[in-house]
Amino acid sequence: MTTKLDQDGQVTERTATLLKERLDSDHKRIDHMFAWLMAVQWLAGVAAALWISPRAWEGEFSHTHIHVWVALFLGGTISGFPIFMALTRPGATLTRHVIAVGQMLSCGLLIHLTGGRIESHFQYFGALAFLAFYRDWRVLLTATVVAATDHFVRGMYWPQSIFGVLVASWWRWLEHAGWIVFEDVFLVLAIRQTLREMLGVAERQAKLETVNEMIERTVNERTSELRREIAERARAEESLRLLGSAVEQSKEAILITDAELQRPGPRILFVNPAFTNMTGYTAEEAIGQTPRILQGPRTDKTVLNRLRHNLQRGESFAGEGINYRKDGTEFNLEWQIAPIRDPGAKVTHFVAIERDITERKRAQEELENIHKQLLEASRRDGMAEIASNVLHNVGNVLNSVNISTNLIAERVRKSKIPGLAKVVDLLEQHAHDLGDFITLDSRGKHLPAHVRDLSECLTADQRAMIGELESLRRNVEHIKEIVAMQQSYATASGVKELINVVELVEDGICINDEGLLRHGVEVVREFEQVPPMNVEKHKILQILVNLLSNAKYACEESQRADKRVTVRVANDEGRAIISVTDNGVGIPLENLTRIFNHGFTTRKGGHGFGLHSGALAAKEMGGALCVHSDGPGHGAIFTLELPCPTQEHPNG
Amino acid sequence: MKKYLPWLSALIWLAAVGSGMGVLWVYDHTPGGDAGVPSQWPARSKMHLASDQPTLIMFAHPKCACTRASIGELAVLMTHCQNRVKAIVVFLRPKGTREDWLHTDLWRSAEAIPGVTAQADEGGGESRNFHVTTSGHVVLYDVDGKLLFSGGITSARGHFGDNAGRSDIVQWLHHENAGTETPVFGCSLLNPVQASNSNTIVCTP
Repeated sequence: MTTKLDQDGQVTERTATLLKERLDSDHKRIDHMFAWLMAVQWLAGVAAALWISPRAWEGEFSHTHIHVWVALFLGGTISGFPIFMALTRPGATLTRHVIAVGQMLSCGLLIHLTGGRIESHFQYFGALAFLAFYRDWRVLLTATVVAATDHFVRGMYWPQSIFGVLVASWWRWLEHAGWIVFEDVFLVLAIRQTLREMLGVAERQAKLETVNEMIERTVNERTSELRREIAERARAEESLRLLGSAVEQSKEAILITDAELQRPGPRILFVNPAFTNMTGYTAEEAIGQTPRILQGPRTDKTVLNRLRHNLQRGESFAGEGINYRKDGTEFNLEWQIAPIRDPGAKVTHFVAIERDITERKRAQEELENIHKQLLEASRRDGMAEIASNVLHNVGNVLNSVNISTNLIAERVRKSKIPGLAKVVDLLEQHAHDLGDFITLDSRGKHLPAHVRDLSECLTADQRAMIGELESLRRNVEHIKEIVAMQQSYATASGVKELINVVELVEDGICINDEGLLRHGVEVVREFEQVPPMNVEKHKILQILVNLLSNAKYACEESQRADKRVTVRVANDEGRAIISVTDNGVGIPLENLTRIFNHGFTTRKGGHGFGLHSGALAAKEMGGALCVHSDGPGHGAIFTLELPCPTQEHPNG
Repeated sequence: MKKYLPWLSALIWLAAVGSGMGVLWVYDHTPGGDAGVPSQWPARSKMHLASDQPTLIMFAHPKCACTRASIGELAVLMTHCQNRVKAIVVFLRPKGTREDWLHTDLWRSAEAIPGVTAQADEGGGESRNFHVTTSGHVVLYDVDGKLLFSGGITSARGHFGDNAGRSDIVQWLHHENAGTETPVFGCSLLNPVQASNSNTIVCTP
């Protein structure tokens, strides 16, 4: 918005510009006028010379009078330069001063040519009046100076030519010049008055232009705004048309209601064809009704309460539920409702987008069933894997049991007990002379030493067998523990319980302990304290057993001496991180991306579902199973991340 | 340099105009010849000297444009001095010229002045009697035939306005002593041959 100060400054500046333009234009116009006038004066001078003094006489002879040549050439010179200036430099300051001088000189020449008649002096006043057209007092000054100088010089050196007397007073030229000045005074006053009027006109025009400019600017701004508004309206209309078309063509049911939430509830104002297809209600039947016509006995009241609560607070709603068609059949729907607000943020309408999800629900249920079946199968597969490991370990222990049994049998078979029986028979044979036999008989003399040796042997056998029996007992106890552990995990399917992660990991290692030991794999434990977790522990155990078994095979395959498996448990901001790192053969990059695929395996005799079921189980628990390997020969890291929902109820 | 070119041109123009003006001034202010007007009324003159008042004679070329100013000044003079002088304008009619030679606007102007008589000078005899060679030359004789004044009554060639000659004559006619001579500006009454024979100066351009 232009301020008044700016406008005043603008008007002043514009006024000066307009005045200057007007004066420049006038100066040019008057220059051209004087060009014509000077030409006419020249021709008039020539004509006057031809008329007044065409010829000079000498008796009866005559020739062209010098006035004719003077009028032609001197007059041409006097007029020519001002005409040239007026045509080539119109409007220039010098031009009008040259014209002023030329005018005065023309006057002088014409006075000469007219015989110096006193009446011809009036040309000066006429010329000055013409020069006043310039509205420039300086031009009058120049003309006056030229005329005064002419009178002064001629008065000084040839007074009779101008004053008609041989001796004139020194101030006589001043008298003549005074009359010119006298006229100048009036002309200057007139010029000032004219300039004042021109200034007023220019000022009025500048104000008018400023006002016009403001009006024009306002009109332009308003026009631009209107254009923008029209364009925006056109765009809005186009958007509306597209939106309307989209709504009409939409496969989703769309209905718009008013915002009246009091009973009987918001009135339906608009429904699209998809609504009719979904519910059976035509637009005519639905409009004016409330959406309650779609509700029925199995419509979830909880969802409706949440819907009402959200709408009363002006919030959006999204949910699923059961509605009823016009023919009374049920259908599942998913719907979203959003408030529509006016510029004052007041809710004026609600728009609902509804989708029939009956088929999707059915498919989802089927999918869930299949998923459960898959999970169960996976679990069974996992259990089979664990069972296989258990049996493998049990088999190892049974080997020890077998060895122990064989050792005991060998000991028993090689026992000195038959020697003891021979001693007993010998003693019974010499029961009547046992003293003589021991002291006198050669065999009896060796009998005590033999009994002592036999005793020592039997004692040694007893110790050995006790040791073997103890080993046997431990092995049997180990088998018992493994079987009991398998039984405990097998029976825990689907049941969550609060577990200690480190203990669970130890169980996993324990199950693989024999195999790891047998293959010379060192197990390194790096455990941090992790909060108790509420999980299905058999799933974690299933994953751990599988990971440790894989690590064992990877180490064995590498045939390196320092086979090592590092098991880490860490707490990472509320997530339990269990990683199994081996320094085995590693995994090529191309296998990393499909290692969790069902049926993928690189191990001879592998099934390819251990890691797959492990990944599924991890995902089911809200965690993830990841793998990292720097390539063949660099080992691999399998990481199981699990959330720690300790606040959840075990059966929740 | 280009900036000052208009000013330089203006100065050259002023110089050219000044030179032209100078030439014109020289011409306008160059008087005609004076062969010595007789101090007594020439006896050979066929004109009559007035006995009751001075006699003024203006010799004029009927076609001289410059003399128009002299006739005008004579009219002014006669206005001031009516009934104080007998005025005659003698118009030259060279030999061999037609009758209408004399019938010009100057003749008619002279005749129109009250108290002035116009008459022809056939063959220029009267001019020669008074030794006058320049058109516009005025001579004033008193009743005794004594020359009071001889000269022109314009300040320059063909220029109207107050001038010393007219002033002197007015003074003489008011019985005051005044100047007796002024330069005469006008065309020659003699043709070039006559002029060269009379060894007089002719006011030719």
